Amino acid sequence: MQAVSDEQLIQWVADGDASCLGTLFERHHRSVYQYCLQLTRRPAASEDLVQDVFLKLLQKAGSYRGEGSCKAWIFNIARNVTFDYLRRAERRTVSDDDADENAEPLVDHRSTEQVAAGQQNLHLVARALAEIPAAAREVIWLGRFVFEDYEDLARALGCTASAARVRMHRAMQQLNTTFTRMNGVPIDV
Amino acid sequence: MSEKRKGGVPFESDDAAEQQLWSDLEKLPEEAPSGRLRRRFYDELENADRRTHRRRRLFGWLTAPGLAVALGCLFVGVMVGVLLRSAPTASRAELAQLQQQVAILNRNLVLDRLENDSASKRLLGVIEASDLAEHDPEVRRALLERAVDDRVHSVRSAAIDAIGPRVGSPAVGDELMASLEKAESPLVQLALADLVLRYGNPKQMEQLLQLSAQGRLHPDVAKHVQSSVSGNRV
Repeated sequence: MQAVSDEQLIQWVADGDASCLGTLFERHHRSVYQYCLQLTRRPAASEDLVQDVFLKLLQKAGSYRGEGSCKAWIFNIARNVTFDYLRRAERRTVSDDDADENAEPLVDHRSTEQVAAGQQNLHLVARALAEIPAAAREVIWLGRFVFEDYEDLARALGCTASAARVRMHRAMQQLNTTFTRMNGVPIDV
Repeated sequence: MSEKRKGGVPFESDDAAEQQLWSDLEKLPEEAPSGRLRRRFYDELENADRRTHRRRRLFGWLTAPGLAVALGCLFVGVMVGVLLRSAPTASRAELAQLQQQVAILNRNLVLDRLENDSASKRLLGVIEASDLAEHDPEVRRALLERAVDDRVHSVRSAAIDAIGPRVGSPAVGDELMASLEKAESPLVQLALADLVLRYGNPKQMEQLLQLSAQGRLHPDVAKHVQSSVSGNRV
């Protein structure tokens, strides 16, 4: 199956062979799920969003024009679906405080022993990542775990490659500041 | 199949702490979705596909044979039990006849499972069918269909695993080549071609190359076949 590129698969979906979407799902659903989870912090909602993303691919397959990778296009759709959800969720909640109370813990289902055994640093990284704004978290997540070049990252984010670089730089600064504050040590200058 | 974490985009910073964070991010635990997501997706995909192709099937027709087979199995099982209890008086011929009936019912049950709407039942059908496929053309065809055309990845993989090692045998191989000639979907063609490329004998490889050269395969599939064969020969 790996012999077929994502771009070819989406073309076949557009031609009416919906079964090809199953192959795309197997290739990408985990990373789309993790992306949605980073932004929503709700596992059940993230699964719903992944479902929406892939069913949208079925409807929109014909509109893929081959500009950039199919993966970037998929994540651009995932981004739109997730931010729509966040906007709706924001309207439903009375205040940000309520939203934070309802949010499920993003990472860290580990035992205290694990954390104590040299995992505290990682625990803090996860907490810092969860604390920075969603826009910064999104850039870091996509840039660190999904894409390998700024062109694809930019297409997923709907901006230029240079803007993606700037956003990444700022997001990492935010992460570092938050991490340092949590860690209780001075910022490394 | 899903891509695991790779290197990420190049990130360069003069700040050592940021570089360290970039490196630490990779160690964050990966959260996996529940198995429910996959089931829901394939159910939805199947529904969407049905709507697209206007294929309406009545569930009653699908479930009725399954129920009949199950009841038949129960009846035959009870009869075998009764006959075994009175074995001295029962003739060997009667027992053999019942065993044959059990085998037929079992075969029908397997065929029914391979066509079931539920992916888990189809998976069970694939496991049961692998022993019957060698000698039963109908089971072989149904298993081959699961191997190349099942909506659910795990069912497809299990069917490929079940049928793959038998591709070299004339019965399975002929069936495979006949399906390849008839297949219209490029993805189905590719799955069949990959089975031949992985498990086929030299004669089947030759047939595959002929189909490819005659333009009877999708151009992308033909390209894949030619590059795979030439890669193997080098």
